[in-house]
Amino acid sequence: MSKQLDLLQGTLDMLILKATSLGPLHGYGILLRIGQISKDRLEIQQGSLYPALYRLEHQGWITSGWGESENKRRAKYYRLTAAGKRRLQAETEKWNRMTDVIAGILETRPEEV
Amino acid sequence: MRLLNRVRSWWRGIFQRSLVQNEMEAELQFHVEARTEELVQSGVPRAEALRRARLEFGGMEGAKEECLEARGASCLDNLMQDLRYGARTMMRAPGFTTMAVLALALGIGANTAIFSVVNAVLLRPLPYDQPDKLVQLWHVPPQAAFPGIAEFPVSPANFLDWRSQTQSFEGMSAYGRGSYTLTGNGEPETFRMIAVTDGMFSILHARPLLGRGFVSGEDEPGHEQEVVLSYGVWRRRFAGNPDIVGKNITLNARAFTVIGVMGPDFEFPISTDPSLQAQMWKPLAWSDQDRAVRDNHNYAVVARLKPGVAVKQAQNELDGISNRLAQEYPSENRGWGAIAVPLRDDLVGDVRPALLILLGAVVLVLLIACANVANLVLVKALTRRKEQAVRVALGATRRRLLQQALAETLLLAFAGGALGLVFAHYGVILIVKFLAQRLPRSSEISLDGWVLAFTAGISLLAGFAAGLAPAFRAAKTDVNEALKQGLGRATSDSGGSRTRDLLVVSEVALSLMLLIGAGLLIRSLWMLHQVNPGFEAAQVVTMEVAVPIGKFTEPAQQIGYFNRVLDRIRTLPGVQAAGLIDSLPLTDNGSMQPIAVEGRPPVAMADMPEVDVRLISPGYLGAMHLPLLEGRGVDDSDVAGRPGAVLISESMAKLFWPNEGAIGKRLTLYFFPDQPRVVVGIVGDVKLYAVNETQRKATLYFPMAQFTAPRGEAFQSFGMNLAVRTGAAPVNMASTVGLAIHEVDPGIPVQNVHTMDEMISESLSPQRFTMLLLGAFAGLALLLAVVGIYSVTSYSVSRRTNEMGIRVALGASRTDVLMLVIRHGMMLALIGSVIGIAGALLLSRVMRSQLFGVQPTDPATFVAGACGLMIVVLAASYIPARRAMRVDPMVALRYE
Repeated sequence: MSKQLDLLQGTLDMLILKATSLGPLHGYGILLRIGQISKDRLEIQQGSLYPALYRLEHQGWITSGWGESENKRRAKYYRLTAAGKRRLQAETEKWNRMTDVIAGILETRPEEV
Repeated sequence: MRLLNRVRSWWRGIFQRSLVQNEMEAELQFHVEARTEELVQSGVPRAEALRRARLEFGGMEGAKEECLEARGASCLDNLMQDLRYGARTMMRAPGFTTMAVLALALGIGANTAIFSVVNAVLLRPLPYDQPDKLVQLWHVPPQAAFPGIAEFPVSPANFLDWRSQTQSFEGMSAYGRGSYTLTGNGEPETFRMIAVTDGMFSILHARPLLGRGFVSGEDEPGHEQEVVLSYGVWRRRFAGNPDIVGKNITLNARAFTVIGVMGPDFEFPISTDPSLQAQMWKPLAWSDQDRAVRDNHNYAVVARLKPGVAVKQAQNELDGISNRLAQEYPSENRGWGAIAVPLRDDLVGDVRPALLILLGAVVLVLLIACANVANLVLVKALTRRKEQAVRVALGATRRRLLQQALAETLLLAFAGGALGLVFAHYGVILIVKFLAQRLPRSSEISLDGWVLAFTAGISLLAGFAAGLAPAFRAAKTDVNEALKQGLGRATSDSGGSRTRDLLVVSEVALSLMLLIGAGLLIRSLWMLHQVNPGFEAAQVVTMEVAVPIGKFTEPAQQIGYFNRVLDRIRTLPGVQAAGLIDSLPLTDNGSMQPIAVEGRPPVAMADMPEVDVRLISPGYLGAMHLPLLEGRGVDDSDVAGRPGAVLISESMAKLFWPNEGAIGKRLTLYFFPDQPRVVVGIVGDVKLYAVNETQRKATLYFPMAQFTAPRGEAFQSFGMNLAVRTGAAPVNMASTVGLAIHEVDPGIPVQNVHTMDEMISESLSPQRFTMLLLGAFAGLALLLAVVGIYSVTSYSVSRRTNEMGIRVALGASRTDVLMLVIRHGMMLALIGSVIGIAGALLLSRVMRSQLFGVQPTDPATFVAGACGLMIVVLAASYIPARRAMRVDPMVALRYE
């Protein structure tokens, strides 16, 4: 069993936006999609997924509607809004800049200081 | 878009809560089932799969809670939670809650009651279409002849000139009052009739319920036998018969055709006393002779401004026309101006200052109540400091603490508001009962939607006002300090005590303002009661013998009738004296007339001096105990055909003949120029119109028996007022006298029966009522302030028990301890008094118009108010101080 990483604070929102950007998904589907993309390297508390979804919906970055699932059950589907798309883009850029900076700092050798 | 989204989500969070919860339930259910399904497919047994799915998901309830919070419903949830929490705390401290709610209820109730009066009387539009456009027009008489009189009725010729020459008005109508007796349809009854020139109803934009109003040209002579009925009269006397229009009814023995019936809401003119509302309207039909009268001012005028014309423009136009008319007719019009007064001001101008003062007073009372509640909450909050600190330590934000504290006072305020409405309901009933006859539109006073909105508004404000200080203190909670302090006893709490002291000082200052205000009014009323009206009111009963117009056609018939009445009454046992006068003292009625003194250069009418003229019968002086200072009174020899005799008042004698005897001097009444009249007696001055009139009214009395129709006009019979001095209680005599009058002629109604004492008391009722209300509010304020000082002192004493114990143990005497506590209370009272006196100086300046015989800065009242307050404060701090004095050092030191 490979070691799973705890999710960094604040990154779940980003992952949800990314997951829904690929097409409408229900809550469990989002979980699966993230697991699939991350090759199960991330540990997501299932209980914390839904508050995040509700928060993102409240902020208008995703919308929801009821639809039929693969196995013919009623399920709530989430879809990325235009505002959500912009948000995802902004967040991604910010994340990239951040990781560059952090990585830069961490790679610094003692003699460079 | 995002805003819309949020609002929608809040909306759903609040109002579709169960729907949201159901959806959430289904969604989470789906999640668990989907996971279970997956596990089952991977070979796990179903029961185990379900268990694992649930386990993986974690706390289901916690997730739901978080979801709801994420929706933004949380701030409302918090509020609800705070309110629930507040309600629980209130329940747990019933004493505190009762005090606070009662204080706020009294404050809010007083405000609501006074506001409902202000709303109905001053704020609500008059019951006409576009009432802002309606104005009342008056003459402004020359001040030399009419000192202190700002508005005067209008003469027909001047009215007609105003109407034809002004451009500012859509229409203008003159009207006069009279009383008409209905006969031939059940009991005879006298009605209040308004005679109006044409266009009155169209100026008011008033449509009759049935039939029509008067049309143009109907104020020509020949149309005058038409009448419009009020709704009340139509329902009561004519059984609401819809076929009444076109029928004839008999009024003052003449046939009138009913041409219309007004709706139930129509009232014109609006009367100060609802029991004196107009009941019928007829055309005011002036003959050509009447239309030419420029020097006799008897009519009121109402007009409607054209759209877009301001009162000021109309006033300018009237000024110009008045100047032209004065030049054109100098002998009648010199010095006579005109004024346009918005109808509402004309109606309520007199009561506005008193109402505004009362409104100010109740606002002060509410402020005191708020300070009081703030104090109570502060003291209570101190006992909860530890709880607050724990909450801060557990992560409660400042905002959250502030919100929580405010929620509590808001809850108190709204509970107070609800109870206050109950108080206000009864308050309004009392106000209407006492003031109905002096307050225009008092029948409209009610707790309507506006008043309820006002109450809700001030409850909210009061909640904030009372809650802000405690809330900010709560938010300032210093965790470390509070937690270190154990129960928070016996430690310095300087910030909090300063806030409480400040609140006490303001309570003292505000209540002193009210006390002084009330004191000034009490002094004024007392001074008014000391005023000598010029006659002796005790044992006198008065009534109006309402001879209908047209009842007699010759003066001699009328004089004969009144003589028979007097003769009949004088034979009644218990009657000491009886006499008649056309207008009783202390009533609004009365006639002012120009006179010419013989031997002085003749002047035009407009320049003649004006005096109040009263018509009296022999016996009037005796009945009223009006002192005869010189000469003789009116007696049975002063009849038609004998030389004209008049009595004059002392002030008239001094005004006209300052350095010589007035007896024997001759003068001519402008409107009764048939013969010169000789001054035969001088009588004392009388308060003619009101007890508080400051001007001595030059008055001329002339004998009823020498009355002839003015200047050869046709004689019209008129009523007189009877004054009877009795040995027995005057009230008991009234019905006997009334029956005696009825025996002389059953067709002549007797009305308005009052004792003279009642009339004096009635004439002072507005002042008395303002005084009573302000006094009640001041008392309320004082009570609240005392409670405030008492609670603060008790609290600080209980907090300082320990300190007191040490002081006593170290040798302080009991008196030292007593003084220590009292000194603090008195210090606050002193500072409060100084501020209060400054405030009272401002307040009393506003009250100047309401005062009589006392200066707004009356030192006695100020000193008495301040001293009284000090004594009360002393008492309020003495009780807790005694407790401090009795502190047993051993107990006190062990206390911690």
